Amino acid sequence: MKIKKHVFVRLADTSVILGQRLAEMCSNGPTLEEDIALSNISLDLFGRADELYKIVAKLEGDKFTPDDYVFRRNEREYYNIKLVEQPNEDFAWVIARQFLHDVYAREVFTQLSSSKNADLAGISQKVLKEIKYSYVHSKDWMNRLGLGTEESNTRLQKALDHLMKYVDELFAFDELDKTYLADCEKLKSIWFKEVDEVLLESNLKRNPFPPLSMRDYRDGFHSEHMGHLLSIMQYLPRAYPDAKW
Amino acid sequence: MESGDKVWEVFIQKKAGLPFKHAGSVHGYDKKMALQNARDLYTRRGEGRELWVVEASNIVAVPLDEADAFFDPADDKIYRHPTFYNIPDSVGHM
Amino acid sequence: MDKFEAAFNELIEKELKIEPRDWMPEKYREHLIRQVSQHAHSEVIGMQPEGNWLLRAPSLRSKQVLLAKIQDEAGHGLYLYSVAETLGISRQEMVQQLHEGKAKYSSIFNYPTLTWADMGAVGWLVDGAAITNQVSLQRTSYGPYSRGMVRICKEESFHQRQGYEIMMQMAFGTPEQKEMAQDALNRFWFPALMMFGPHDKDSAHSSQAMKWKIKIESNDHLRQKFIDHTVKQIEYLGLKSPDPNMKWNEATGHYDHSPFNWDEFWNVVNGNGPCNQERLDHHKKVHNDNKWVREAAAAYALKTETQVA
Repeated sequence: MKIKKHVFVRLADTSVILGQRLAEMCSNGPTLEEDIALSNISLDLFGRADELYKIVAKLEGDKFTPDDYVFRRNEREYYNIKLVEQPNEDFAWVIARQFLHDVYAREVFTQLSSSKNADLAGISQKVLKEIKYSYVHSKDWMNRLGLGTEESNTRLQKALDHLMKYVDELFAFDELDKTYLADCEKLKSIWFKEVDEVLLESNLKRNPFPPLSMRDYRDGFHSEHMGHLLSIMQYLPRAYPDAKW
Repeated sequence: MESGDKVWEVFIQKKAGLPFKHAGSVHGYDKKMALQNARDLYTRRGEGRELWVVEASNIVAVPLDEADAFFDPADDKIYRHPTFYNIPDSVGHM
Repeated sequence: MDKFEAAFNELIEKELKIEPRDWMPEKYREHLIRQVSQHAHSEVIGMQPEGNWLLRAPSLRSKQVLLAKIQDEAGHGLYLYSVAETLGISRQEMVQQLHEGKAKYSSIFNYPTLTWADMGAVGWLVDGAAITNQVSLQRTSYGPYSRGMVRICKEESFHQRQGYEIMMQMAFGTPEQKEMAQDALNRFWFPALMMFGPHDKDSAHSSQAMKWKIKIESNDHLRQKFIDHTVKQIEYLGLKSPDPNMKWNEATGHYDHSPFNWDEFWNVVNGNGPCNQERLDHHKKVHNDNKWVREAAAAYALKTETQVA
């Protein structure tokens, strides 16, 4: 499916893929309460994706529905940040991924909330409330795991060391980003400042790593995890293309 | 045995002006977690605007075998209720 | 009989509620703990067969609906664990009993969910049967259980509808979809009916539970109510009844049904169903793999919330 690269697609794809990863945690969390919390965040993300795909559909003259976008595109046609497709290796990965995402998404939608595009500004207002809640949840868990036990600290540090590799691309802004985001450099500086603060208070580090030759999500590049995620998610509409669900 | 998982009682105010009502209990290891868990368990359908949690062990209750002595003496103080008094209809609502 | 026992009997007699700190016979307490913890475990284990299709839900809408439904089940598990806790057992003890095989859960969840139509059949028939039972339990004599049931019934009212909606999509869809719908109905019909438990004449726990008004209506009564209610829903879907002997009986004013396969029922209850091992193993694995998270939370709370005793 050929669709125009668009900032809405990036945001929508990032939401749906992270939503799917969190849905994987349903009946796999450390407590039942946490199953419910992660499901809630997942539901917010699916709802957000749906709204954003509706805008995309409108822009493309209603050729496709949100479900077409979700269920009928392959890896190379998806434009989510690679951070969110990383797997749930353990609960520390879930929390680290969520926290890094939440700080980023909160700043992105804060900037978009003053966008001239009325649809986008409207959605951003609603989304911000959801992200603020999710942020509190993920930050609290960063503190708990970082300061809890030696084991939890080690696990969280390990998760961070892996996930940080997928952070650089967030800030490799292209022209499209710059059209929509009011202040790209500010986004980047706030992100690093805040993440570093929380890491410091949680007894965690942002370890340096050598420059990576990793291609940009903006061109539909992914880690190998992505194909497996899609093959599960898209199974039914792909297997029964004539069926209505 | 694992430890640290505490029980908290949850109180919800549905709308401004209404009293807080006991909704049930929730588990949580710390205060923030208890609040978040209560929010996710008891207000998923917009049931609240305010939420309290209090550790269940901090609630003080009347001992069961003292309940008679505690509450029964209030049963015969009928002069505390408005219907105890006879007021003529002609004076209007009072 | 002392004054506490007399007070208990009077409350039951007058259909008032027993509250956690009221005196109650030990057997009443034990019966409730067994029933409520089993009910809680059923909600929690019941997340698994539906979770099996959550990641493969075929539309954004169905994904959200199914996730919200499974989330409710986790919530209902929590409500019920709290009810049991008011009777003096901790959640940890209940989970331990589950892992040791001492506590049971509804055997329906030991059947696999094989196609997307099963999400329809589970919501429509399994939740439908559970709701029939739970509506009746709203009047149970134990206060916290009764209040829990009221809340659960309110929240679950969408569960059966979402299941039936899936059944409609499947039954009115492509021939392949219709075939899946019929297959799901065939596989879940009898197990769903057996969820109501053994026939009244064979039910050991039931009679005492009815005297104490823990149970309000009998297994057979509730089962028949469910059958009578569901037949027209099968007809609307244009599906064949899975029971060739299901016919309207003018004399009784109810639908007749074939005898149930109680051997299979008891075999599944006793651990030999298609997924018993998998369900329990999954629960244990998740619990054990995440022990470090709970330990971290406990350690963090100790460090940050040390309070003056």
